Amino acid sequence: MSTGFGRARREEPSATLFLLSSVVFFAITTLVGLLVATKFVWPEFMGTVPQLTFGRLRPLHVNGVLFGWLLAADMGLCLYLVPRLCGNRLWSEKLGVATAVLFDLIILGAVYTTTAGKTQGMEYAELPLALDVGVVVAWIMFGVNVFGTVATRRHEKMYASVWYIMGAVIWTAFVYLTGNFATEFFTGTNQANLNWFYVHNAVGLIFTPLGIGIAYYLIPKAVQSPLYSHKLSMIGFWTISFIYVWTGAHHMIHGPISQWLQTVSILFSVCLIIPVWTVIVNFYGTVSGKWDRVRQDPILKFLMAGTTFYLLTCFQGPMHSLRTVNAIVSKTDWIVGHAHMAVLGAFSFFAIAGCLIAVPALAGRPLHSVRLANRSFWLIFTGGIVFFAGLWIGGFMQGLQWNRASIPFIDTVVFMKPFWMVRLLSGALVYFGIFLVFYNLIRTLTGASAAERDRAVAA
Amino acid sequence: MLKATEKNAGSFFLFATLFFLVGAVLTTVVPAAIERTWRKPTEGMRPYTATEARGRAIYVREGCWYCHTQQIRTLEADVKRYGWRGVDAPISTPSEFTRDAPHMFGTKRTGPDLARVGGKYDKSWHRTHFKNPRDLVPGSVMPPFPWILTGNNGQDFEDLVAYIQTLGRTIPWRPNNDYER
Repeated sequence: MSTGFGRARREEPSATLFLLSSVVFFAITTLVGLLVATKFVWPEFMGTVPQLTFGRLRPLHVNGVLFGWLLAADMGLCLYLVPRLCGNRLWSEKLGVATAVLFDLIILGAVYTTTAGKTQGMEYAELPLALDVGVVVAWIMFGVNVFGTVATRRHEKMYASVWYIMGAVIWTAFVYLTGNFATEFFTGTNQANLNWFYVHNAVGLIFTPLGIGIAYYLIPKAVQSPLYSHKLSMIGFWTISFIYVWTGAHHMIHGPISQWLQTVSILFSVCLIIPVWTVIVNFYGTVSGKWDRVRQDPILKFLMAGTTFYLLTCFQGPMHSLRTVNAIVSKTDWIVGHAHMAVLGAFSFFAIAGCLIAVPALAGRPLHSVRLANRSFWLIFTGGIVFFAGLWIGGFMQGLQWNRASIPFIDTVVFMKPFWMVRLLSGALVYFGIFLVFYNLIRTLTGASAAERDRAVAA
Repeated sequence: MLKATEKNAGSFFLFATLFFLVGAVLTTVVPAAIERTWRKPTEGMRPYTATEARGRAIYVREGCWYCHTQQIRTLEADVKRYGWRGVDAPISTPSEFTRDAPHMFGTKRTGPDLARVGGKYDKSWHRTHFKNPRDLVPGSVMPPFPWILTGNNGQDFEDLVAYIQTLGRTIPWRPNNDYER
């Protein structure tokens, strides 16, 4: 009897491989996050083995979640939905499968290099040059497939999701090359400027357009309504493509970088509210009058909670860039809460929703358990809110304490300990929910496909 | 104008690239070209010695920068907190970092900033601290690093301390209290 996985692999192997590997890495790399959180509560925990110390596991968690889970899931979802929006098949399944295999080899390589301490020593750019080259090759292969599918489309007019995905393909190329190759030729502040350009735009011009593009497809589909406003989606897209890229230097406000560049980054950070709110109005507008569906449907729960987290995180961002606010929150645990709301709360929620729609569709059978999916939502959502808010409260007070030089630094560390404990416990809730999502999707793939089951029942 | 991009992937490609490139060029290429202080070393700053460079590589390898920043910001709080025995810490300037690759400005302060830590603690303090930070700083959450003390027959520790002692000392900001001088 053929499984859902058998059918998925036969019909759309590229999307299937990407999504399968992404959920496996999701379950693994978030567990690494939980281990890292444990170290804040118990500093000696796994601390006598160099490969398992904080300085090695922290980049494994960050790179693993960003690339192994989120980027792979987004790529898989793009390969799933671009053909559906273009009214054709994927340009080349063979190319897609090769991309997925190459990408997974890179992630496995990254697990080795980060734990071995082989690092380039820059945020999001830790992977050694050889792996960076692999990422570039994989991205070109992915881009060829996306643009090949778009070029041979049967629907002339391209939907908002397709713009966002194409935009992400183009921008990622520039952003990744800047952060991983151009930085090789610079030192000090010059290098830091390129590094922060990359870090900020990895979130802003890679994960944002991919996540938003996917949500532009999923929300109208899940709620079975047309998009609220086509025009708004267009304004949102072109403003984000112009505004986002200016803001990298806001990571170095008050730091050793020119004041004019700080001011430019602040101005454009505040302007980000425009593209963000067009998206928010569009998403809320699309479900307007149909909120009762959110109660039953776990996919809509993830989508609308993700939209709300996106609104909040993108309101925090511009506020952090203001010099007065920055003087309190910058370099504190507040920022860790903020970053987790963006990557876990907003973009991972969109990607989870995507998996919950795409995996059953690929497998040709319904989701293993809708009830389980609802439960996993509440676990991740509740755990997430406590996690984020705990770090905001603790981090903000930590920032205020730092601003009084008479308070010894170590006192501000000891002050944070209860908040780090809260982070560990709420993080465990989040992890439990993530594991249930993983289990649910794997069961969906390993169970018999609906057609096979009907045949078995008939026999 | 942008209407055409809805049906024509070619013009979409063109506009999406151009819109992005305006900000990209003005915030990366232009500053690198016009900001001379970003590439002009502080007067008298020498390159890292072999032992300091090896120590710096260990600092990078162990991910010290995930918890320790190296930047005295233009904030009263930083200047006062990271001063030493009544002397304010000078604000970090780009010229002090031109020999640094990868840059170690950092982004999170789980532990204190290290931009001006050079010369504040001697070798025996660092030895005890790397062995178990809580022996010297009760309440600390820094992990112990026993393998740094023993690595390469103790040379790793010598190298790392040599690097740490360079931090913030390209500027003579407390000549009378700089015990190693």
